[in-house]
Amino acid sequence: MPELEVRNLTKRYGRTVAVDDLSFGVEAGRVTGFLGPNGSGKTTTMRALLGLLRPTSGEALVEGAPPVTMRDPLRTIGAALEATAFHPGRNGRNHLRTLAAAAGIPDSRVEEVLEMVELMGAAGRRVKGYSLGMRQRLALAAALLGEPRILILDEPANGLDPAGMRWLRDLLREQAASGRTVLISSHLLSEVAQVAEELVMIRKGKLVAQGSLAEFTAGGGGQVRVRAADLSGLAEALAEAAGSVARDGDDAILVGGIESARIGEIALRRGIAIHELAPQAQSLEERFFELMGEEEDSA
Amino acid sequence: MTLLRSEWLKLWTARTTWVMLGIALAGEALFAGLYTGLASIADIEGPPGEPEGLETVATGVGLMLVMMLVLGVLIATTEFRYGTASSTFLATPKRWPALLAKLGVALAVGLVAGLAYIAVNAGLAAPLLSSRGGDVPAAGDLAGIYAGVVASYAILAAFGLGVGAVVRNQVGAIIAAIAFFFVLSPLPELLPGSIGDYFPAQAIGSLHGNPEGDANLSQFAGGLVLGAWAAVLVTLGTLLICRRDVSE
Repeated sequence: MPELEVRNLTKRYGRTVAVDDLSFGVEAGRVTGFLGPNGSGKTTTMRALLGLLRPTSGEALVEGAPPVTMRDPLRTIGAALEATAFHPGRNGRNHLRTLAAAAGIPDSRVEEVLEMVELMGAAGRRVKGYSLGMRQRLALAAALLGEPRILILDEPANGLDPAGMRWLRDLLREQAASGRTVLISSHLLSEVAQVAEELVMIRKGKLVAQGSLAEFTAGGGGQVRVRAADLSGLAEALAEAAGSVARDGDDAILVGGIESARIGEIALRRGIAIHELAPQAQSLEERFFELMGEEEDSA
Repeated sequence: MTLLRSEWLKLWTARTTWVMLGIALAGEALFAGLYTGLASIADIEGPPGEPEGLETVATGVGLMLVMMLVLGVLIATTEFRYGTASSTFLATPKRWPALLAKLGVALAVGLVAGLAYIAVNAGLAAPLLSSRGGDVPAAGDLAGIYAGVVASYAILAAFGLGVGAVVRNQVGAIIAAIAFFFVLSPLPELLPGSIGDYFPAQAIGSLHGNPEGDANLSQFAGGLVLGAWAAVLVTLGTLLICRRDVSE
């Protein structure tokens, strides 16, 4: 059972459809990246998983149950939603203390998380004077308060400097390695690609793709570069087998839609000698734009 | 209890609370001091037949009443204004327990403000009046009036909380609460019959021991009417907050 799951989740605001029949699951023990352009419905989905908004239809489940029924919420799930969501006049330590008090978490744990996010020095200052990066750290500290089994972080890298990003990546990996479930959203592929093992991509509220990072780069949609003795004969045979064939220079073709083993078999049947058969590893970025672009065409 | 502690911390770790209560207390002390110190004894004691010196204790009540109303609104709306509502309801997914804790805090603040009022009144206004030869009300009358003031503060904070929970927008809720309480709710007094007694403005007059003499309910009944208004608003606000999406 996935720790986090949305099933046919739809959320409408008037005529606008923010999330459209979305289904996916998030497993424990690894970092899952939740990718999509701004306004694609990531935050809405996360808020539904946190029980903060009511789905128009479908459901959002935490450990198999609706989030409203969570018995010990802060120890189950920790979330950092917006880096701006603080009372500006309250200092960082007191912000955390109000949250800790609500869950019966001792103040000593507040000091621990302040230490973890390296915010000890600023804890006594009012949040009004914090930089965006410091606010991100404070939001993260709040998420970590209850040592939750699940972390949901919305754009946690916003406003972090390169050193901060690296620190965040290490922290997330550590959390995942200790068996926790980590879901982080971003509109920037590069932020997520370095830390996530699993990716969920959405666009306009719909699922575009889900899979491991390796699957994305190895690419079911990847192409195979082929050189052969009778190139035009092979191209013809492959086209008949419903592959897409494109010329790649003078002596090679790029074949899509047919995997290498099958290309070899077709060539053997035709008695064509293969000179080269090279699956083209696709960069994640190409794949990302390809997936996002596909949707755009059909929209 | 843990939620109550959380809400209590939220209230007192924000500077606004201290500023508002400070202003109200200072204003109250100033009015009470000026009035009992400078007004003619005949004016203070009022016409014969009215309990003696009643206005001593009724002086300066109004400013703190407004503050209680506004503070109640703030307890409900600040979290929506600054987006901390998400964190709060993450810790209490059912939401109503958080509202219940906020109600507890609002009532407690009313109690604190009421005690501060009594301290100013008993420590400043009453001695000042008696040093000028005026009659201070009997202890029994005083206790009754003080109790009414404390209750009115607590209920008004709850009333503000209810309005805030229904409206959610901070500025809108402050305007709505003040407009309803001080502008709309006195209007039914103009109608024939006793219907005006059952609206908050008159009910609070009754609860304060009827200093102006035009409210007809007993002190206790006035308190019940005012409390009922607050209870309805808080219940409505809580139901709405449990139903609505939290996007702040």
